Amino acid sequence: MRVRTFIKERMVLLLFLAFIFIMILFKPSFVSLTNIKNVLIDASIYGVSALAMTIAIITGAFDLSLSSNFAWAQIFFCFMLNAWGSSGLGILGAFLAMLCTTTLIGVINGLVIVLGKIPAFIATLGMSTIVKGFCLVFTSGDMIATSNTFVERMGKGTFLGISYLTYIFAAIVVVAWYVMKNTTYGRSLYATGGNATAAALAGINVRLCQFSTFAILGLAAGISGAMFVCQMRAGSVLYGTDLALTCVAATVVGGTPLTGGKGSVLRTVLGVLLIYVLYKGLAFLGLQGYYNTMIRGLVLLVVVSFDAFMTRKGR
Amino acid sequence: MKGVSNDAGRKVVGFLREWGMILLILVITAVATMIRPVFLSGRNILNILRSYSTIGIASIGMAYTIIGGGMDLSIGSTISLSAVVTMLIINATSNVAERVCSPYAAVLVLFVGIAIGAAVGLVNGAIIAVVNGRMGESFIITFAMQIVVGAMAQAVVKGQFQAAAYKSGLFKEFGVGVVPVIFFLVVAAIMQLILTRTQFGRNLYFLGANMKAAKMAGIRVGQVRTISHVLCGMCAGLAGVLVVSRVNSASVLQGQGYELDAMACVAIGGVSLAGGDGSILKTILGVLVLGFLLTALNILSVQSNAQLIVRGVVIIAAVILDTVNKKAKLREVRK
Repeated sequence: MRVRTFIKERMVLLLFLAFIFIMILFKPSFVSLTNIKNVLIDASIYGVSALAMTIAIITGAFDLSLSSNFAWAQIFFCFMLNAWGSSGLGILGAFLAMLCTTTLIGVINGLVIVLGKIPAFIATLGMSTIVKGFCLVFTSGDMIATSNTFVERMGKGTFLGISYLTYIFAAIVVVAWYVMKNTTYGRSLYATGGNATAAALAGINVRLCQFSTFAILGLAAGISGAMFVCQMRAGSVLYGTDLALTCVAATVVGGTPLTGGKGSVLRTVLGVLLIYVLYKGLAFLGLQGYYNTMIRGLVLLVVVSFDAFMTRKGR
Repeated sequence: MKGVSNDAGRKVVGFLREWGMILLILVITAVATMIRPVFLSGRNILNILRSYSTIGIASIGMAYTIIGGGMDLSIGSTISLSAVVTMLIINATSNVAERVCSPYAAVLVLFVGIAIGAAVGLVNGAIIAVVNGRMGESFIITFAMQIVVGAMAQAVVKGQFQAAAYKSGLFKEFGVGVVPVIFFLVVAAIMQLILTRTQFGRNLYFLGANMKAAKMAGIRVGQVRTISHVLCGMCAGLAGVLVVSRVNSASVLQGQGYELDAMACVAIGGVSLAGGDGSILKTILGVLVLGFLLTALNILSVQSNAQLIVRGVVIIAAVILDTVNKKAKLREVRK
């Protein structure tokens, strides 16, 4: 019985594992150290945002403005680094200033959604357009690069053969896991997502919970953006447009249903890793450009439809 | 005495709530005309109507899915796909020497464009019907479809920009003068009739207002949702054909942002994004508001990137206004 519930809940995950297994069987050279390291780095950057998206989905909301917020984070971080980046304190200041702005975007999202009582996806879609427009106005559509040495070291540096960025991700995973599992706050997020009315009756400040997840999303977009800048040493509105959808896909693949109230951040770590193994695998098979894009879209389509179908049947 | 003025006041508020958009159009026109008198010229107005007629057609389709409690974010890519296929067909059948496109091809592409839209809509609708997705899920499903269909459009033309190989012909007429506006009005009339005079239309409202109740009342929920998405796709497909005719070129970016504009039009017009409420007429008003607003901004030389910000603000503001309105209405009903 337990096996059956497991299979039912984690069907998407099993399908993914099967796919990867088949791919490795046909192309054993895919399993190389460089590939694994690259997957880890990419997964770390998007993973931070995916964790926040998971928290939001558990609380019963999601954020489509994450991509734009992420783009803004890169752009503004590069801009600030170029302005202040000569000293250690300046770099810290640039980082904190950037985090403040991205969190502010999240806070505005939260305020609009909680106070205006409008659906999260519409509000965040509108916000996404606003932030994108703002990024374009700020940069006139150009890429903005930085040659900061500290950032370069962060991006290239490794400890025991693993990138610093992966350690940062791991640390954030531990924090997120602890908060969601062992604190009153984490549990009230689960309660809010499971049944907001019941949670409110139980004395949980539902609106504060919902509001806080959007602030967390903004913060995470900022951290992801900073990590991305370490990797690319540039920021542009064109980078990371698929972030929000990849995060939703990673969450669902990991086994957190879109219905809310269930799931865990640890599952998402697995989900984001699997998604990146798949993406890398597709590129490895020679699918480039728009075919790659098409398959990413199909993956999301299948994963979300499947999840919706399974959760519907369960009720 | 006080009661009378209160009553009149309530009437004014009620009127504004329903038809405040007309006032908004007048205000935009007045302000823009004051700064640049050329705004109120017949030519400018016709230009606005012509260039927003395609967005209008797409918005009417969008209104269908929204009234049914859903949303279709894939229309932008549907328009792109329909546009590039249209261009390929027209160019392939044009008389190269005289640079005239064939009139048969012009009729053919109308059907092909609509068929492409219907196919995309059918896939959207079928998936949503099978998984019985709620709004959030239909949102992501159509968002994913946008990526897939957009990539398909790119694959069709290998990412290449397609220029027109013709200079005249029936197809070119689709985008000239009042022809696009006529297309828009015809589509609006047909869709209005379907919405108000058929069982399907009534079911769609019921569905959007309360899906569970609709199901219990014996409405085939999946079928109605599928049809609404197919109709929405058909509108987008037609819009794609007309866009090509107007701008004489096709690229995979043609439809980019259309879903946002359509959503903005529908929301501004006062169609509730929560579903179950709204009409084609309101959507048309929404299209006019967005058209006048963005053209006014153009004339006041606000750059297009900044206009993106305006769109986002407008969508959010319209949805908040709708929520506030609904609450006020409920309060009045309780009284």
